[in-house]
Amino acid sequence: MIGSVAKHKYFPAALGIGSLFVFVALLELLIRVGMINRFIVPMPSDIVAAFPRVIVEEHVLQRFVLTAGEAFSASVLVTIVGVAGGVVLHRYNLLRLATETWVAAIAAAPLVLMYPLYLVIFGRSALTIVMMGFTAGIAPVILKTLEGLLATRRVLINVGKSFNLTPSQQFWKILFPAALPTIFVGLRLGLIFALINIVGVEFLINFGGLGQLINELAERYDLAGMYAAICFVILVSISVFLLTERLERWLRPVD
Amino acid sequence: MAAVHSERIDAGEPKFPAADPILVVENIVKRFETPDGVLTAVDHVSLTVAPGEFVGVIGPSGCGKSTLFNVIGGLLDGYDGTVMVAGERMRGPHPAIGMIFQEESTFPWRNLIDNVAFPLEIMGLPRAERYERARQFVKLVGLEGFERRYPAELSGGMRQRVSMARTLAAQPKILLMDEPFAALDEQTRLLLGDKVLQIQQQLRQTTLLITHNITEAVQLSDRIVVMTYRPGQVKRMVEIALPRPRSSEIVSSEAFGRYVAQIWSDLREEASRGLSDEEMGKLREGERR
Amino acid sequence: MVETRGLSLPAARSWALPLRPVTALRVAIVVGVVVIWQAISASGWLYRDVVPSLLTIGRALYATLSDPIFYFHLGTTAYEIAIAMVIGGLSGLAVGLLLGGSRLLSRAYEAYLYYLGPCPKIIFFPVMIMWFGVGPGSKVAMGAISCFFPVALNIAGGMREIDKVLIRVGKSFRANTWQMVTKIYLPAMRHPVINGMRLGLGVALIGTLLAETKLSNRGIGFLVIQAYSIFNMPQMYALLIILFVIAIGANALIGRFGGLDDIKAS
Repeated sequence: MIGSVAKHKYFPAALGIGSLFVFVALLELLIRVGMINRFIVPMPSDIVAAFPRVIVEEHVLQRFVLTAGEAFSASVLVTIVGVAGGVVLHRYNLLRLATETWVAAIAAAPLVLMYPLYLVIFGRSALTIVMMGFTAGIAPVILKTLEGLLATRRVLINVGKSFNLTPSQQFWKILFPAALPTIFVGLRLGLIFALINIVGVEFLINFGGLGQLINELAERYDLAGMYAAICFVILVSISVFLLTERLERWLRPVD
Repeated sequence: MAAVHSERIDAGEPKFPAADPILVVENIVKRFETPDGVLTAVDHVSLTVAPGEFVGVIGPSGCGKSTLFNVIGGLLDGYDGTVMVAGERMRGPHPAIGMIFQEESTFPWRNLIDNVAFPLEIMGLPRAERYERARQFVKLVGLEGFERRYPAELSGGMRQRVSMARTLAAQPKILLMDEPFAALDEQTRLLLGDKVLQIQQQLRQTTLLITHNITEAVQLSDRIVVMTYRPGQVKRMVEIALPRPRSSEIVSSEAFGRYVAQIWSDLREEASRGLSDEEMGKLREGERR
Repeated sequence: MVETRGLSLPAARSWALPLRPVTALRVAIVVGVVVIWQAISASGWLYRDVVPSLLTIGRALYATLSDPIFYFHLGTTAYEIAIAMVIGGLSGLAVGLLLGGSRLLSRAYEAYLYYLGPCPKIIFFPVMIMWFGVGPGSKVAMGAISCFFPVALNIAGGMREIDKVLIRVGKSFRANTWQMVTKIYLPAMRHPVINGMRLGLGVALIGTLLAETKLSNRGIGFLVIQAYSIFNMPQMYALLIILFVIAIGANALIGRFGGLDDIKAS
């Protein structure tokens, strides 16, 4: 009987969600009973109760729009500069060979640690946050654009040659479309890196939208509120991630 | 230079007059620089193809057939000798030559009809005309109804038919194919061979097929050029006097069997040279490491 | 190293330096950047010390590297990161193996990891402070949480990628579980494991350092914020340079050690 339940199509999902509920319920119990200090971990019921309060009093919607705006600006910059950069590196071989390792190395560096530097240069403003998002997201876009263009299968290039395409036609009709799936992977990575850094820096410099909210609630020792805000940010992050996945799949009916 | 024999198993009139061939390949020599020295891939190969003729080029792996394919198609240069298409000397890809490649070559981001319409798009045909013409060729290869599908939704055999339709849509004088069915299983190959025969006969399309599959070569060709192992030369030319129109049923006939046997006896010697050469090469490679 | 994909490089022209073109271009770029930097610095175009001269940065670099207190801070950060990686790495490995090995567990729980992965972990920092105090504990916790996710996901994925035929070979020779793990699973998973480690190190580094910038009185992150608060720009640049060199070097080392030359793999 257990075997046949376990093979049911929705069992794994149910198991996952069920475990979450059990965990939360257990937490509630342990806190109520006093085994876990309620001033360190607020009761899940309190956290849930704090949601409406936080949303209304802390103007969560405006904050969300602010963070989203920063993320959007950073994404646009990253897309334009990143894809253009990748195309340029692809076009000029020598430049690519000289700088590709450098770009990859920068991608591996803890760029976000430059935020104090940006604070000095751009001040405590949305510009700092957008630039931080841009810096964090640019490298994967350049690298993936380059990778996509280079990975175009030889035979497709030969098809183009056999039809005597001009270099411009070859690029726009064959190389670029062939590279698009990989470019989108890069854009998605870039967006995610940008978003992570944007919310993180908002938290760190206590300026901006959602990230700043968490910081503020922490400084006010509003525990339930802070946990609620954190949950909210997690939900937003998951939604964005899901959305970009959907978008990517929709944009390439190919794979 | 190898002596060229022309043999016929069944006596009869040569089907295609040697005058006015549409493709003339003369004394092609192509060498490559490798870490092990200069490699002669193709050594003084000449052949001609008359209009409407189906010529098969068969040889063991490593005989330079793909090099020949790329030279005739204009994708390779730096060779000695000439390639003339309809009397014009060729330099670079010629609009009169249509190429079908061995690997998967459909554009995965375009649907079927857009794939087939691609050359027409390049030629600048207006939209309506483009799609009208493309549809004809989609029908020709038997894929009517699949126009809006993407290559990922089609089978390997179907995708090769799309590539074929695309190349044919440009209406090339000469169709050049490099082992287009190599990735398919034997039975699909035989059936697709039928399709190719049907199309070729309907369009009277001049075709040059490069292959290593003897059955396929005999099934489809009017004449077969047998190549030696590297450096590739023409070993023998064989007239295939099997009746036309043909279908894949021909593979069970006696005459078919005799042609295959004859070609295999020529090929076997070259193929085993190739095999032992490859093994010696691997040995040397291992020792170098 | 960059794969050249069978390209032929233009031959170095005879009038140029006896350098390969790639090296020459790199040198040219570096020289160009140096010249532009110095020009901006000297012109005073950006206010005050935002672009200090390379000489001042160099001096600050030297001063920092010869200051024993710097090494105290460096050691603190290194210690925090090391422990964070051990905790995060081992738990990631355990969870990854569990999820990779069981389809049921994977379908039930892996989505949580996958979707929590791209969350900015620094927002958990106030919680970590409450649980582990204001000392190194909270920093280690930040690093460990950051490190956990990429390791677990890479290993779970890596286990699934193992060519099934290799597992059948092992079973056909009747290998026991320990032999299967050590002789088939782990060797077959070398790439995902190394990759996971590299990503884990990268994010552990970030998590720990950011935590230090937010609330700490020791560590490299603390030093960076301290330099910022007293507007000692040359010092900040020096610290960032040292930090980046270490981070990039560590990343490259792991990659080289793991036999992977492609930093781009992620």
